[in-house]
Amino acid sequence: MAAENIGTLMDPASERAKRGAFFFPMLFTSIICAAWFLARFLWAGTSVPKAADFGVGVALTVLMLFSIGPMSGARTKLIRGEDAAALGRLAALLGIAVLVVVGIIATWWAVPIGTGYGGIYDITSGWILLYFVGGVLGLLASLMKGKQVLERFQSERWVAHNVLSFWGELVLLWTVFFIVFYIA
Amino acid sequence: MATTDIQGQVLGETEGGADKFAWSMTLPLVRATLWGFTAYFLGAWITAIAAHTLIVNALPATVGYVFGLLGWLAGSGLWEGWIRRAFGGAEAPVYTGVERYFRFSSDSKATAVRYVIFNVIAFLFAGLAAMAIRIQLLTPNSTGWWLSEVQYNETFGIHGLMMLLAVVSSVIVGGAGFYLLPLMLGVRNVVYPRLLGLSWWLLPPATVAAFMSPLIGGFQTGWWGYPPLAQNSGNGIVFYVLAAATLLTSSVLGAVNIVGTMIYMRAKGMSLGRVPIFVWGLVAAATILIVEAPATFTGAVMDLSDMILGSHFYTGPTGHPMAYLDQFWWLFHPEVYVFVLPAFALWLEILPAATQRPLFARNWAIAGMLGVAMVGSLVGAHHYFTAMSATRMPIFMTLTETVSIPTGFIYLCAIGTIWGGRVKINAAVLLTLMAMMNFLIGGLTGLFNADVPADFQLHNTYWVVAHFHYTMLGGVIFTWLAALYWWFPKVTGRMVNEFWAKFHAWWFFIFFNLTFLVMFIPGIEGMNRRVAIYLPYLRPLNEFVSISSFFLGAGFLIPAVNLFVSWRSGKKATQNPWGSKSLEWHLSSPTPYVPFPEGSEVTVVGPNDNYAAGAPEPFVWNQATPSK
Ligand code: HEM
Ligand SMILES: [Cu+2]
Repeated sequence: MAAENIGTLMDPASERAKRGAFFFPMLFTSIICAAWFLARFLWAGTSVPKAADFGVGVALTVLMLFSIGPMSGARTKLIRGEDAAALGRLAALLGIAVLVVVGIIATWWAVPIGTGYGGIYDITSGWILLYFVGGVLGLLASLMKGKQVLERFQSERWVAHNVLSFWGELVLLWTVFFIVFYIA
Repeated sequence: MATTDIQGQVLGETEGGADKFAWSMTLPLVRATLWGFTAYFLGAWITAIAAHTLIVNALPATVGYVFGLLGWLAGSGLWEGWIRRAFGGAEAPVYTGVERYFRFSSDSKATAVRYVIFNVIAFLFAGLAAMAIRIQLLTPNSTGWWLSEVQYNETFGIHGLMMLLAVVSSVIVGGAGFYLLPLMLGVRNVVYPRLLGLSWWLLPPATVAAFMSPLIGGFQTGWWGYPPLAQNSGNGIVFYVLAAATLLTSSVLGAVNIVGTMIYMRAKGMSLGRVPIFVWGLVAAATILIVEAPATFTGAVMDLSDMILGSHFYTGPTGHPMAYLDQFWWLFHPEVYVFVLPAFALWLEILPAATQRPLFARNWAIAGMLGVAMVGSLVGAHHYFTAMSATRMPIFMTLTETVSIPTGFIYLCAIGTIWGGRVKINAAVLLTLMAMMNFLIGGLTGLFNADVPADFQLHNTYWVVAHFHYTMLGGVIFTWLAALYWWFPKVTGRMVNEFWAKFHAWWFFIFFNLTFLVMFIPGIEGMNRRVAIYLPYLRPLNEFVSISSFFLGAGFLIPAVNLFVSWRSGKKATQNPWGSKSLEWHLSSPTPYVPFPEGSEVTVVGPNDNYAAGAPEPFVWNQATPSK
């Protein structure tokens, strides 16, 4: 029996299992952010300092809401088995993720970290930034796999599905982040 | 075809490679260590230069740790085994033989075995720290000839942190849990085998960092890491925080696999009512981790941010130091149920087989475990009654005492199972019964802690220390040994020497109780915990405790030698030496590399704990001849 066969034999979870169980890491990573969204009110009350970089915040939120398009598009294409089209949309999301990473870093100079708002803003956005870096890696992995070994991409479509689910989580988290830190 | 015949067939290489051990196989381990340390120093040194500071300061140590962790993982085989293929590179090699124990691997059985070995080593070193603590307390003031006060503080901090997060939190879940979870559910592997493999590789660097923390200035906060002491008593706290966060991450990766596998990957016919009780225990523990760990995780990150980034969450003008306590205990009280629920569940696996009687009131046991997980998640604040408003006191007192109700269910199920039956006592069963006795004392003394007026006297005394050692050493570690003895034949294919196992069980039981039962007394007499110097009237009691603890500690040489010798030359084990109805015992011993190969899947027709006379076998094996 070839090594590759034993490899798949010993990773027996079905696509349904791989996708379903992904709910739990998403739950964990979301609760972390939820804890910080709440903590914002303990450490910084409800006021938003004038110095906060509202413009960039709005821009990133619009970008993230816009990304719902390619996200659900990619999902549909994956389900239909139109992998090339799905990969194109994943590439678009990759571009957006990089923009958001840059954008988040740009906002860090607005309010100093030593203040109540600045501290909780920086730690929460910094943590979300790590998620975006994770998103970049996940998208890149799917893209490279799709380009180099399409067969493997196809036999493991659950990976791309989970990357998209994670992107959905990011849209949600970023939107709540914007509301909590720039509006509330 | 009978069970054994199907499982005995060699399907291609499914049995696992037969190649002998060679030193070259340890290369990934050596490489990981080398790259880990190199990356650590590189990261720390560059940061120190860039920030014009010393290499032992908080920021360089943090950056160094992150680099070191990545370097270690890169060396471990993570790249070839996972990342490379995930990015479209060459397919990962598959190691079915002994190699898989020394490198990143996705076989849950190998991961579990590695957990056991890691736990044994961590237990040894954290145990040596305990011995150092007890030497200190032989006399009222040993600072002149043994540890200084600062060194003493560092020692008990490392002891506590490591025993909790590198030993007790994974002894049952890691070893027994990850080995048995897929086998008991009738599947070949967990839902995310690579993530599970990764969970192990996170442990060693975190543990090494915690033990090395004195080299960069140590930490004196004990395992709590409370601010503002954390920010003021040594840079080693950075390693404390990073190690704790890494170990928690590892636990969560395991938890994700437990819940995911249990929900999505049961064998045909295994309805929820037929899921083995041990799996339920694991699921209860995993749920706690996924839902509660975030609060504590954020606390650790914020504590660190105060140290290296200049934020003021817990210190300075905008700081709320008490918020840390809330965050910390939000998980770390429930964490004690993460330790103990899987241990409870193991009792309920072992006792029915040992008495050949059905598990008593199975559904109540499940309800008990889920109940403990739910109520237990609300009571963390009972750890600081002395620092809360009077309004909160009765609330947390009542909630805490409520936990004893679902705990009681579990005890009643265990007692009901053996009641009036004939228990066949081997070493594992003996240790299980002892664990039940010990934990009873632990749980009952917990009620005194939970009682606010009593706790005002007992808080931060040796009474509390005795209490939690009864639950964790007396409850969890006894059960760990029981599990090691019980499943040893399945994992290694050999029997443990029963005489020495029982001999040590009694030794352990006697010296454990001499040490910790007596320890309640200095607690009541007013001996504070975490002090290097105490008042002379407490000396006789402390001497007694120290000397019995030396016997207790030295005794662990017995199982160490026994397990090693039994592994090399013990009697060959049969497939099912205990007459258990649990699925793993119906595979050959040792478990084949590929359990349930295609064509020999199993259909479940009943719970694995129904030993009632005339009850049908709980499993039906697929009759079809294997296709490959
Ligand atoms: C059945 C019921 C239990 C109750 C009512 C209970 C109650 C308590 C309370 C109120 C404290 C705080 C005492 C103080 O600091 O003044 C405490 C401490 C502790 N308990 Fe328990 N407990 C129970 C079971 C357990 C279990 C099952 C474990 C572990 C497996 C455990 C481990 C600990 C630990 C580690 C501490 C001390 C933490 C520290 O201060 O460093 N307890 N317990
Ligand atoms: Cu507690």
